[in-house]
Amino acid sequence: MIRTYRALLVATVQAAAQYRVQSVLWMLFSVIRPVIFLAAWVAVANAQGGRVGGYDVRDFAGYYVALSLVSQLTMAWDAYEFEFEVRMGRLAPKLLRPLHPIHYAVAWNIVWKLTTIIPLLVVLALVTVSFDVRFRTTPAHVALFVPSVLIGAALAFVSGWVLASVAFWTTRVHAVSSLWDRGAFIFAGQIAPLALLPGPLQVIALALPFGYMLGVPAEILRGGVDVPTGLTLIGGQILWLSFFLIAFQRVWRAGVRQFSAVGA
Amino acid sequence: MEVRDLRKTFRVTERDEGLAATLRSFVRRRRRDINAVAGITFGIQPGEVVGFLGPNGAGKTTTLKMLSGLLYPTGGEARVLGFVPWRRESAFLRSMTLLMGNRSQLVWDIPAADSFRVLQEIYRVPDGQFRKTVAELTDLLELQELMHKPVRNLSLGERMKVEFAAGLLHSPGVAFLDEPTIGLDISMQSRIRRFVAEYNRRTGATILLTSHYMDDVVALCRRVIVIHRGQLLYDGPLADLAERMAPYKVITATLHDGAASADLAAYGNVVARDEGRVTLRVDRHAAPENAARLVNDLGDRLADISVEDPPIEEVIDRVFTGAEPAAAP
Amino acid sequence: MLRYSRLLALFFRTELQYELEYRANLLLEIVQTVVIIATSIGAVLVLFTYTDVMNGWDLGAMLVLLGCFYLVQGFGELVLSPSFEKFMEHVRLGTLDYALLKPVSAQFLVTLRHFRVVQLAQIGLGAVVVAVGLGRITAVGPLEAVGFALALACGFVLIYALLLALSTLAFWFVRIENLMAIYWSFLDAGRFPVDIYPGWLRVTLSTAVPIGVAVTVPAQAIAGRLDFGGLVLLVVGTVLAFVASASFWRLGLRSYTGASA
Repeated sequence: MIRTYRALLVATVQAAAQYRVQSVLWMLFSVIRPVIFLAAWVAVANAQGGRVGGYDVRDFAGYYVALSLVSQLTMAWDAYEFEFEVRMGRLAPKLLRPLHPIHYAVAWNIVWKLTTIIPLLVVLALVTVSFDVRFRTTPAHVALFVPSVLIGAALAFVSGWVLASVAFWTTRVHAVSSLWDRGAFIFAGQIAPLALLPGPLQVIALALPFGYMLGVPAEILRGGVDVPTGLTLIGGQILWLSFFLIAFQRVWRAGVRQFSAVGA
Repeated sequence: MEVRDLRKTFRVTERDEGLAATLRSFVRRRRRDINAVAGITFGIQPGEVVGFLGPNGAGKTTTLKMLSGLLYPTGGEARVLGFVPWRRESAFLRSMTLLMGNRSQLVWDIPAADSFRVLQEIYRVPDGQFRKTVAELTDLLELQELMHKPVRNLSLGERMKVEFAAGLLHSPGVAFLDEPTIGLDISMQSRIRRFVAEYNRRTGATILLTSHYMDDVVALCRRVIVIHRGQLLYDGPLADLAERMAPYKVITATLHDGAASADLAAYGNVVARDEGRVTLRVDRHAAPENAARLVNDLGDRLADISVEDPPIEEVIDRVFTGAEPAAAP
Repeated sequence: MLRYSRLLALFFRTELQYELEYRANLLLEIVQTVVIIATSIGAVLVLFTYTDVMNGWDLGAMLVLLGCFYLVQGFGELVLSPSFEKFMEHVRLGTLDYALLKPVSAQFLVTLRHFRVVQLAQIGLGAVVVAVGLGRITAVGPLEAVGFALALACGFVLIYALLLALSTLAFWFVRIENLMAIYWSFLDAGRFPVDIYPGWLRVTLSTAVPIGVAVTVPAQAIAGRLDFGGLVLLVVGTVLAFVASASFWRLGLRSYTGASA
């Protein structure tokens, strides 16, 4: 498996080299939305004498810089790609190969994230300076962040594949994923840090998987939660990841059966 | 249609592989001029169907694009129906059409009938005339079944028929057809051919046609224009092309006792030998005499003999590969 | 002019017939639009649980602005993005030639040819959000209404000019989907008034990618927060942007046909 992955990664790096320009432009998506909501919260904080909940302007900046980094590291867009492959008839040949199609996507995601992170770090450094960002990060937070962001990325990736598997039954994956994205919009910590979601929304957000992909690693990275809370949140991440791993196995198996039954 | 000394030069930027070379080429670009069309002159009478021949990259499509107004020439003049094409006057655009066999102009998701309505409005075809033209084209191309299906559901051949109708809805006086039968099966090719011939007969439209299929040209064009590397090589009747371009004939002799035994080198260049049949290439002028000698000498051993022009593909191929005129003994 | 509006109506009708055949899809798209707009309103409400005013915008004004955002975006997705997507496909497949051979303005035929009729839902819902927001603020006088209509039209034209300029690049570089990503990524910034953003972003959203002004100014106009000078500036800027992008388009077209090269 290790040798397979080494070969896959080498091939993917070569393929990704052709997308250098794209990688810089697509980075905008990871930057713009956090900056938009950062600006909104700064406006709110300024109207309230510089403070909202436990956050002042510099805390918001820290949170949204962290969120931007996390969203570049965790978000996966495989569902859209997968539907396209099913529709264009490119899936069938992949199913015939001895390697599960998900491994190609894993390799692609790893390479993509590692190559796009460098220009993003440059941009975020600029934002950090211009907003006078405050991080409350301790070494313990860094130690928690590493597993947290890895689990978050795995969670986003696997849940994305569960959604993508819907393509075996319907051609409307796009609609399903866009509704899913709206769930992430509200509950993942994009429009507000999870701690600032009003009462019931916060409860829902902590029960749903979205926050564990974005908001939780971001909050840990900026040092916004204490270590026990961080550990609890990582526990939540692990629960959701296990759920989606099992769900994926089931859904995929049923989907492939459905796919071959239709004879596509 | 009059064309005088028409020229088109493309300037291409050359770039080596690799990132460093890419960056370098941003600063200083190496440019090279390519003479796609290097000065061609011809005239076409109204109602003529002319075949426009040449290998890939000869400049056929570039010429067609200049004559239809899509490309500005680097030099030279052209008049089509009295218009300078690249001024793209509305009156000109309304009286000609360009059909490209490998490029579709119909909207894929909607039925052809709807696309036709849009084209009617764009070309301002009056209702009465529109109905008449559509009826006529439907009849000629047998479109009845195809008009109301989304274009994406049509087969390649069906789609080509509909493309033809779409291109001819406004009854153009001049039609440029670029590879109109490309990718079609044999029977669909011949149907398109019959259609083009019939359309030309009925409407008197002038047609300039490029094709890789010699059958298209043989079936439709009495006159051909041959270009190669942007220059005009031949302009005249198709029938004379062989005589001008291939100064030899082909003698095929079939022998009762098999070809292996006979040594026919004395009568011409032996180019093929299989089973009982020998194919000879003989100088055009010497062909009758050599054939007569062959009949005489072989006597009863000869089962059959024919003297023909070389196949048109072969002639064209010789022209384009720049082969020397055949040296026959 | 009459002819062009007849053509537009015909383009619209053709696509409408096509979309009506896929009713389930239509319904699904409408549901999506409702969810998207509802969640966007939700985001604004979350912000306003902590404050009554953001940079001078109260909840009513903010809802008007959000409605304008969906009006402008809906216009873009109704006709512009489907047309421009097809345009890029035409350049890639070489079928643009057909559009250039038609006896109609090529710019018109390329940029307003295709519709995604279902996006009318987004425009309609955007209008509803504007109306709800207006209900919370003062009544609208005729002057504000005129200013709003004018500013909104300018917003549409600005977006049109931006997309025209971006897609004109396709004449030189075949793959420009990436440049379109610039538009899509900045578009999201239209959901808040342009004045809350830090300097570099505000400048970008007012000039290079004028989504900010295209949304903010109409909202200011109808909420009675816009002075006459600002409106004049918007109109002048819009005319300039349109003229500039149309000339850029002609330049691209000339290069495509080899007229200047």
